Amino acid sequence: MKKHILLLAAAIFFLSACEEIEPTVTGSMGGEVIESPVEDQLRQVIIEEFTGVRCVQCPAGSAFIQDLLAQHGERLIAVSIHAGSFSFPYSDSQFDFRTEEGNQLISYLNEPFGYPSASVNRKLFPGQFDLQLGQGDWAGYIASELAIAPKLRINIEPDFNAANRELTAKVTLFVDEAITDPDVRLSLMITESNIADLQLTPASSTPQVDYKHKHALRGMLTNYDGQPITESLSAGAKIEKTFSFTMPAEWKEDECEIVAIVSLNGASKEVLQAHQVHVVE
Amino acid sequence: MIPRFWLLVLFLTLGLQSVTAQDAENENANTNQGRLSGNLQLNGNFFMRDSSIGAANTPQYDRQLFGADSWLNLNYQNWGFDMGIRFDMFNNSNLLNPLASYNGVGIGRWYISKTINKLSITGGYIYDIIGSGIIFRAYEERPLLIDQALYGIKVGYQLTDNWKVKAFSGQQKQQFDTYASVLRGAAIDGFVGSDSSRVTLAPGFGVVARTLDDGSMNNLVATLNTYSKTDIFTPKYNTYAFSAYNTLNAGPFSWYLEGAYKTADAIFDPLKERVTVGGDTILGRYVQGEGSVLYSSLSYANKGLGLTVEGKRTENFDFRSRPQEEGIRGLLHYIPPMTRVNTYRLLARYAANTQFVGEQAFQVDASYAVNKKLNLSANFSNITNLEGEQLYREIFTEIYYKYKRKWTLTTGVQLQNYNLEVYFGKPDAAPANTITPYFDFLYKFNPKTSIRFESQYMSMSKDHGERADYGDWFFALAEFTLAPHWAFTVSDMYNIAPGKVSPVDVKTGEKEKIHYPRFDVFYTHKANRFSLSYVKQVEGVVCSGGICRLEPAFSGVKMSVNSTF
Repeated sequence: MKKHILLLAAAIFFLSACEEIEPTVTGSMGGEVIESPVEDQLRQVIIEEFTGVRCVQCPAGSAFIQDLLAQHGERLIAVSIHAGSFSFPYSDSQFDFRTEEGNQLISYLNEPFGYPSASVNRKLFPGQFDLQLGQGDWAGYIASELAIAPKLRINIEPDFNAANRELTAKVTLFVDEAITDPDVRLSLMITESNIADLQLTPASSTPQVDYKHKHALRGMLTNYDGQPITESLSAGAKIEKTFSFTMPAEWKEDECEIVAIVSLNGASKEVLQAHQVHVVE
Repeated sequence: MIPRFWLLVLFLTLGLQSVTAQDAENENANTNQGRLSGNLQLNGNFFMRDSSIGAANTPQYDRQLFGADSWLNLNYQNWGFDMGIRFDMFNNSNLLNPLASYNGVGIGRWYISKTINKLSITGGYIYDIIGSGIIFRAYEERPLLIDQALYGIKVGYQLTDNWKVKAFSGQQKQQFDTYASVLRGAAIDGFVGSDSSRVTLAPGFGVVARTLDDGSMNNLVATLNTYSKTDIFTPKYNTYAFSAYNTLNAGPFSWYLEGAYKTADAIFDPLKERVTVGGDTILGRYVQGEGSVLYSSLSYANKGLGLTVEGKRTENFDFRSRPQEEGIRGLLHYIPPMTRVNTYRLLARYAANTQFVGEQAFQVDASYAVNKKLNLSANFSNITNLEGEQLYREIFTEIYYKYKRKWTLTTGVQLQNYNLEVYFGKPDAAPANTITPYFDFLYKFNPKTSIRFESQYMSMSKDHGERADYGDWFFALAEFTLAPHWAFTVSDMYNIAPGKVSPVDVKTGEKEKIHYPRFDVFYTHKANRFSLSYVKQVEGVVCSGGICRLEPAFSGVKMSVNSTF
């Protein structure tokens, strides 16, 4: 009998629910939209969302990213990459949002397990299988990445010539902490927002005709995995690079952004810093 | 990694000692011996790109061309210990994510257990179940790369001849890692009655608790902090799931009843609306609520008549290592499916995933042996959500006739109503209503040589004027067996009347009537089985052990080796 009482007591102790101290949940507190000069630049994080015009669940992910952008302001940069099994355009689509670089990036960052899916700073977070994350993890990993001080800062000076549509971007990297990784890359992307075109949504089996596609990846000024930075990345180094590109006429320059990221290339593809500016200031 | 390495060394040392001991036994009739046994499962896939069926644009089709999965399991028993180790290998594997490539090699499992009088102790990666698995099931299902092993320790104690208790603590396996959340649980199982008694009871009670890790909680809170105030809640670190169950056997009757309850837990409800701060209305948000499952199964078997009636009600019973996991990942439990497990190709095409958020289901299965030659069976299953919306319905009939030892004929028809909106996530899609007659004819030339033919035709209902999903299918298979070693099959699944989502021929603009052929060769020698197959397979739901997921099309050659030693 004593033995059984002992077992019962052990079971109760093993499973008993002492009151736990609960986490604090505030709900949305609104945004902190701040524009800071490069001298004061903090860590800026990139979320690369994989989507497609035939992806019925993707608009929910995109809407969630808009909330995250409103919350974090310039410190969060979103790029929507149309690639993968749901990205094939409809016959009535005005645009084919798929890009060669987008197709390469989905392979580089691994195909999503399900949609919506995004990569945050191309980082493999502890406990994750790969770089693709379901939306339940986006907000938390963005917050944890924002808390890390940047090893470098990025400045972009765009110059767009409306006459010949040539875009020149001067990118300057200010290294604050020595980066010793053997392969560090600079990638430059062009995104465009507010493009009205077809998108499948949960509302109907026929796509919504005037869905506003935001921060869609339109092209890159570098290779999909970036241009190797061959200069020394010692603390205090300042590296300047200039890129030129002729923007296709169908891209509305007023809605376009230049996104720059500095990332590792190798076992880790982690993004060290990101920054974006409007093509037309 | 280092402890696993030393464990491997220890295991191999023990194994070698065992071999030495066995050699010694052969020579000197030494009685000290261990027993080493094991099995190997090896699958190889050669990927052959075929963009016309959608077998393209994955790393395997684009550049890797080959992928392999393998499990080598070794078990050793000696000195009252039972131990095992499993070497897992995934090379450019499409099992973890059918659209991506996964690489991982290492010790997928090890365990050691010992029984000391009434106490049993097991440490390592443990497979176990409480009741029917509704609150806890640690198991593996290799075709879907489910491995819900518990990495921890379990102790069991035999209270009396008929009552035993067990308790465990650990973390759930996640490929070659573990989830950070901690699990603990306990169960008591008993047996009331004697060998001679007509009525017996097998009651039990179990409880499992999960403590969410800080990282997962931080991510959950960060997500909730983007929600508007009307949608937020305070999540719990600790969630408890309780289950009481009993099997009553009385003569030809067997009645299983299980009731489970889960305390408040954050789960992602994909159908709940949420208004974002930006003003968009989207589907899917975290909710927190208590969960419950009530499951019962009543069987009657007597004089050729078999009858089973099952019912199940599920509400908010998505129980995972972390709420951020999706699909079949991170599940701590297993809720028995309430549909027939179909094996014929077209009959199995539309399978109903268990809906963890809410489901009401019942099933009746009847079988009657008219005589030794003729058997009749039928099955009816019906699944709705908690609001009564139809999710799945199946009517299945089967007549089995055996003529002496010469031939057998199995034939019948299946009718399905399948909610494409819920199971395939297709907005606004009408349900797929299918009618599928089938037959299976086996002819034996002699006791070793036989030929089998099977065929099915699936007729599909219309959706907005077009045949729903892929439309109508025709399937035929021929299998020639030379027992005990060889079997050859050839089959074709033909999209005879294409539907809404069948691929379009770019040249003609017409929907393509595509053939999906398959050729298999099987060779069996003692406990070794080899197979080589050329496969073209349409995308669809693939189920294993009652768990299903959407799988893309496949084109290529598959080979496998299964060996037990």
